Amino acid sequence: MSTPPAERVWEVFRQEDEGDPMVHAGNVNAPDAELALHYAREFYGRRGESHRLWIVPRDEITELDDPDLLKPPFDRSHKKPGGYIIKHKLEAAKQRALAETGE
Amino acid sequence: MTVTPDLDIETREALAELVLSVADDEFVIGFWDSEWTGIAPMLEEDVATSSIAQDEIGHAKALYELLGELTGEDADQIAFGRDTDGYRHAALLNHRRGDWAFSVARRYLYETADAVRLGALAHSAHEPLALLTGKMRREETYHLLHAEAWLRRLGDAPGDARARFANAIRDLWADAQDVFAPLAGEEVLVRSGMLPTPMRALHADWQARVRPALEPIAGPLPAAAPSLDGRERRSDDFAWLHSEFTSVARAEERATW
Repeated sequence: MSTPPAERVWEVFRQEDEGDPMVHAGNVNAPDAELALHYAREFYGRRGESHRLWIVPRDEITELDDPDLLKPPFDRSHKKPGGYIIKHKLEAAKQRALAETGE
Repeated sequence: MTVTPDLDIETREALAELVLSVADDEFVIGFWDSEWTGIAPMLEEDVATSSIAQDEIGHAKALYELLGELTGEDADQIAFGRDTDGYRHAALLNHRRGDWAFSVARRYLYETADAVRLGALAHSAHEPLALLTGKMRREETYHLLHAEAWLRRLGDAPGDARARFANAIRDLWADAQDVFAPLAGEEVLVRSGMLPTPMRALHADWQARVRPALEPIAGPLPAAAPSLDGRERRSDDFAWLHSEFTSVARAEERATW
């Protein structure tokens, strides 16, 4: 028996409706992009559940999982929006805009 | 059950014969290819092949229902209630699944022929048939792409795979012509625009399309034409398949679920 063609893993992302975010659906094994497309369609679209698929070879994804970059050891709380209440400022801005256009 | 009223008997019978031939083709290839479920060359291909086989059964169901509107019969009864002699699938579909190369060769031959046929039927003067085949075409486009993808792979494969594929093409070539076997009422159908192009012309279109794809793999293929009994010959292989796909219907007659 001859050896089968080398397979690649293809990550599949699906969109349920136009405008929805692309969400990771899973992956398929396939020797090339053409069959990857067919298999992705059968695995993640055959029941009419997808509006669009992205099929990406896993080995072409640039991955970042370095904890020094993603979870640095210093305090990051000043980069989060917590503690800064914007609600009242928004309300005031809205009233101002209303008053201006109302005249 | 509504019976299409505005057709004379001659036209209705001819149309029923046409719809039955397409339905039986889809039904039988659907069952043959579903024989790969669980044992296809890889998991992904297993799912793809099984899903395509299911699509074909779905097309057959819709066509049997359309036929029921013409004849007043029940779709399940048409599908499962006939003896082997009553089926009108093309001789191409008389053969058991064989190895993977054989199934791919058959699917390529069938999908290409079906595409040519659907291209004509989508413009049928019988509107329900035009609508249904137009819808089928959208799904069959993918089936054809899938079959073409495998044709190239096996055609370019080293050694044994390519040889098996070439043999399968040569073995099936004569029977493949019979997808275009003449129908009993074809003259009426062509005259009324129900079949916009005669089978003879569709056959020529199909050959012109597949020869350039197949001959580099299988070598020169002989001149071949559809045979008069191309939809009437039955085989032991089909008798076996028939006993399989009717087994549930026979076990509990008129059961519902």
